[in-house]
Amino acid sequence: MPILRGSVTFARFKVISPARAPREKHGWFQKALETHAFAPIERKGDEDRAEGFVEVEDNDATDFSAAAIFHGPRVLFGFRVDQIKVSTGRAREELQKWVASFERENGRKPGRAERAEQKGAIRHQLRARATPTTRVHDVAWNLETGHLQVWSGSRKAIGEVLAALEDAFELKLVPLIPGALAAQQGVKDEALSPTRELSGLLEVPHGEA
Amino acid sequence: MARREAARAEARFMRGETGVDGQSTAEETKDAAEVEKDQAREQLLRGRTWLGRELLTWVLWQSEPGNPLELDGEPVTVLFTGRTVLRGLHGEVVELSAKGALAPYSVQVKRALEDGLLVHACRLRFTVGDRSWEAGLDAEHLDVKSAKLPELLTEEEDDRLTERLDLAEQLSGFVDALVGRFLALRASKAWGREAVPAMRRWMEGREAG
Repeated sequence: MPILRGSVTFARFKVISPARAPREKHGWFQKALETHAFAPIERKGDEDRAEGFVEVEDNDATDFSAAAIFHGPRVLFGFRVDQIKVSTGRAREELQKWVASFERENGRKPGRAERAEQKGAIRHQLRARATPTTRVHDVAWNLETGHLQVWSGSRKAIGEVLAALEDAFELKLVPLIPGALAAQQGVKDEALSPTRELSGLLEVPHGEA
Repeated sequence: MARREAARAEARFMRGETGVDGQSTAEETKDAAEVEKDQAREQLLRGRTWLGRELLTWVLWQSEPGNPLELDGEPVTVLFTGRTVLRGLHGEVVELSAKGALAPYSVQVKRALEDGLLVHACRLRFTVGDRSWEAGLDAEHLDVKSAKLPELLTEEEDDRLTERLDLAEQLSGFVDALVGRFLALRASKAWGREAVPAMRRWMEGREAG
């Protein structure tokens, strides 16, 4: 829960659309968050990963009441990612043990199909015993300034959070970096070519500047 | 089957595609240095990263005298602190990391800038009155990394969260204000006519920042 305590690391964005999200429309936020609410990994299922929005102060809660998400001018929530990882080394070790025992009992090596079936069974057993890892990336959206922060240091995670936000809220976001802000302000591309005297870059491919 | 493969190998040899050892005769067209340069170029162009690098280099130049900068109508002292990473395209060095309390303003760093490297990552300290913020920044995303906020003054849990977020937004605001000032200059004629020549003189040690 980095937003509450711990390392202050976040990516910065401006919400372009909707330009001003309606604070009084709690239902709008709640509905959007619920469409991508977190649901735990089903132990009996095949999925090894689950992700979705959670409340910032209780990462198991997905009620998104007004008290849980509104904090002053901001909307706060988390994006939780649970992942089960089955150790390949452990699975290989278990399979080798089974192959040795099969050869002792049957006097022959297991066939390809038998091996594949056992491999699946071992993976299933290990998966049932594995504890999922949980990561939560918090989101702080200031409705007055239209600035949105994703509290994460991983660009991959930030990309996932942005995709979920754009999908759930139909948001349009721009990163708060010079290139994107210049484009927003309508600064002409020609005025922003690399400065040859500084970086020495002479040519910029068409469409980059 | 073996005869057909042997015939194919013979044909490849006859066409000059392979030598007597059966290995390809085609020379590696790109050596490691070229690959490195291609990567450095790609990094510079991605998302107009050159603008971020020029911004951070400009901030280094602006901050050296230690005078407060007017950011959003507030006098803010900006200082580089700790590790500074420079990246470039030309010459044998594509990345240089300078460590040490005074390293960002050292002769060595200025010499590297003079040679065409630009600031890619740094740690900045913003001081307003007796309160200080510190944050790592990179030229590509301008994400705030491992920031240090001023000590919280409130005691209630909810108030502390709001204060922490307010301080994080203030920090983000300082970065935005720097970007705003830089873009206004960068898109004007004064950039090429005055700022860049002055920065070059500063890099060459002929003028203070």
